Amino acid sequence: MVSARKFPKITIDQERCTVPFLCKKCLQICPTAIFSVHGVKEERLKELDPRIDGSYVLSAQRLDKCTVCNRCLDVCPVDAIKIQVP
Amino acid sequence: MCYLCEEYGAGGLWYLNPENYARNMYTLRLPDGAPKSAAGAETSGDIAERAKGIVDLVVAMEQGDRDGYETIKGQMNENRRQRGTEGQVVSLEDGDKILELCSPVGLMACVCRKGARAIDERNELEYTCMGMGVGMLKWERWPERYKGGVTFVSIEEAKEWNHRMDKRGFVHLLMLAGAPYIGGFCQCDYPDCSAIRRVVDFGSVGSFGGIGTLKGHQVAQVDYDGCNGCGICAQRCQFGALKFEVTSGKANIDQFVCYGCGLCHTGCPRGAIKLLDRTSLPALVEVW
Repeated sequence: MVSARKFPKITIDQERCTVPFLCKKCLQICPTAIFSVHGVKEERLKELDPRIDGSYVLSAQRLDKCTVCNRCLDVCPVDAIKIQVP
Repeated sequence: MCYLCEEYGAGGLWYLNPENYARNMYTLRLPDGAPKSAAGAETSGDIAERAKGIVDLVVAMEQGDRDGYETIKGQMNENRRQRGTEGQVVSLEDGDKILELCSPVGLMACVCRKGARAIDERNELEYTCMGMGVGMLKWERWPERYKGGVTFVSIEEAKEWNHRMDKRGFVHLLMLAGAPYIGGFCQCDYPDCSAIRRVVDFGSVGSFGGIGTLKGHQVAQVDYDGCNGCGICAQRCQFGALKFEVTSGKANIDQFVCYGCGLCHTGCPRGAIKLLDRTSLPALVEVW
């Protein structure tokens, strides 16, 4: 479990990635499902609209599972993802 | 012994104790005044906060910080235990028994698939999760959590759904929603289900050793005379416990890894995989 291997660094440009829950391309292509998308807020009596910019935020959580296959880069329509290999 | 049974079983299996489905509608409070999330609709708002532990674990892994890793894991276990949001894998058969005990039950979208794959389940043909208990009646207060709505179903419809999910290959997982109250019946797979992913990725052997998901009360065993090596079962194991053993040309199960979900058992066309009680195998009595 504890590896001391350096994991890839993934940065997501939130200015470019504005509607991840609607787009979902990286989330669905990633073989190891390292990405996660969540609504900015879960509020009483409020539903978020995935079409509105910034209502959902994409993050890359499981960096330990990233193989740097770069398929997410290929499918991202707005070039929002960057992967740095350590 | 399964600690959930020890604490909430009243002498039997915790999930067959009807009291654990009998929560009232309103948020209970812990003795220190902290609100305890109610069954169903009252859910905590900050999703990013819930994921934080995993990110910390990944950082500890990268730094080779063994002690930090174990500490974070222990803390995550403890947090889930305090919030009473653990779960346990159950077989299809036990799932049916559960569905006879609980009312109301409503089909709904899976929150894990929503987060991991941006799956937006919109109707009862798509729903892969089930909310349980009277708390579900106020689902409309939380439209983001219950995105796509809720379809309340009868016992028979619920069982039919459970069997359909089993056929598709999903693991049945019963979740507490503020222990001892049972609030969710999930249909899981790896890697989309966070409850299963956590234990598979971060370790699970031993009593309370994983992160909030216990192995089930059964363990699968192959009848080598009945198995013809067709390999169907090997496609259904979500835990990496069942392999096709090339040497013998038959299925082989590592029972220490097996979660007892029974998918190999229900998928075997020849009925060559049976489920044993975990406690009937002395070495597995404390392996949850």
